[in-house]
Amino acid sequence: MNYLIAAYAVTIVALVVYGVSLFRERNSLSK
Amino acid sequence: MTEAPTPSDSNANRTTETMSLPSALEQGAARLRGWLGIPIAVLLVVYAYIVVQAPIDNVQGVIQKILYVHPPLAYGTYLGFIVTAVGGALYLWTEREDFDRMAIAGCEVGVIFCTLMLITGPIWAKGTWGKWWSWDPRLTVTVLLWFIYLAYMLLRSFSEGGTRTARFAAIYGIVGLVLIPLNYYIIEIFNNRSIHPDNLSSGSLGDGMGLPFLMGNLALFFVFAYLVLLRWEVESLRTRAALEEAEQFSAQYSGSGGTS
Repeated sequence: MNYLIAAYAVTIVALVVYGVSLFRERNSLSK
Repeated sequence: MTEAPTPSDSNANRTTETMSLPSALEQGAARLRGWLGIPIAVLLVVYAYIVVQAPIDNVQGVIQKILYVHPPLAYGTYLGFIVTAVGGALYLWTEREDFDRMAIAGCEVGVIFCTLMLITGPIWAKGTWGKWWSWDPRLTVTVLLWFIYLAYMLLRSFSEGGTRTARFAAIYGIVGLVLIPLNYYIIEIFNNRSIHPDNLSSGSLGDGMGLPFLMGNLALFFVFAYLVLLRWEVESLRTRAALEEAEQFSAQYSGSGGTS
């Protein structure tokens, strides 16, 4: 169960962090 | 007499007019991304629910549910590198820089998906094989694929930019595409001597596992598309910012008489 949670958690966290960093850059460049 | 200051960002070497950025195609891509947000949120909630409800495999147990994220990440990886090759080919054909920026976006998101594939796979392997890694043909070619596209990103990051780099990167991206069918069919090529599970085929999933697998692919495909479109938009804005900076340098230099 721990391995399963680790696999999904890593995927979700990585994609969210990447997406948020893109959004922040987009918003700062759009100003 | 001194030389005019050189803008730090290599994109400033490009000849694109600042006013034309983002291009009409990029504006359309940004609009499409805007429409995708809510459907993706709904899709992710449904995906999570279906994965939780999916039956537990008799042999592997609950860890088999990594199947609903690992292969979709692999397909996203392939798609990312296909976008890189298609963007590169269109750039070579039309010399439009928005296609080059599309290629960069596809590669970066592809590398992110490939990295996650290389993390989730070993997690599954540790729970199933009892070890994190094996230099199996599929795994080895996947690492090679990752390095090839990481090198593409390094090329784009550290080079001076401009047309020459874009052309070279386009050719590199097209040639690199050869690794995708090799990666997919490597298990068959090695006559199933690979310890990696076979490619999924019709009927190879157990009862009740088809829907979560489909949902995983659908959800991660839309997440992939969203991230590529967003990254493309960011690349366009970066180029515009670099060109504006170059124009400011130029104006400042002209205003000061061009000598020091």
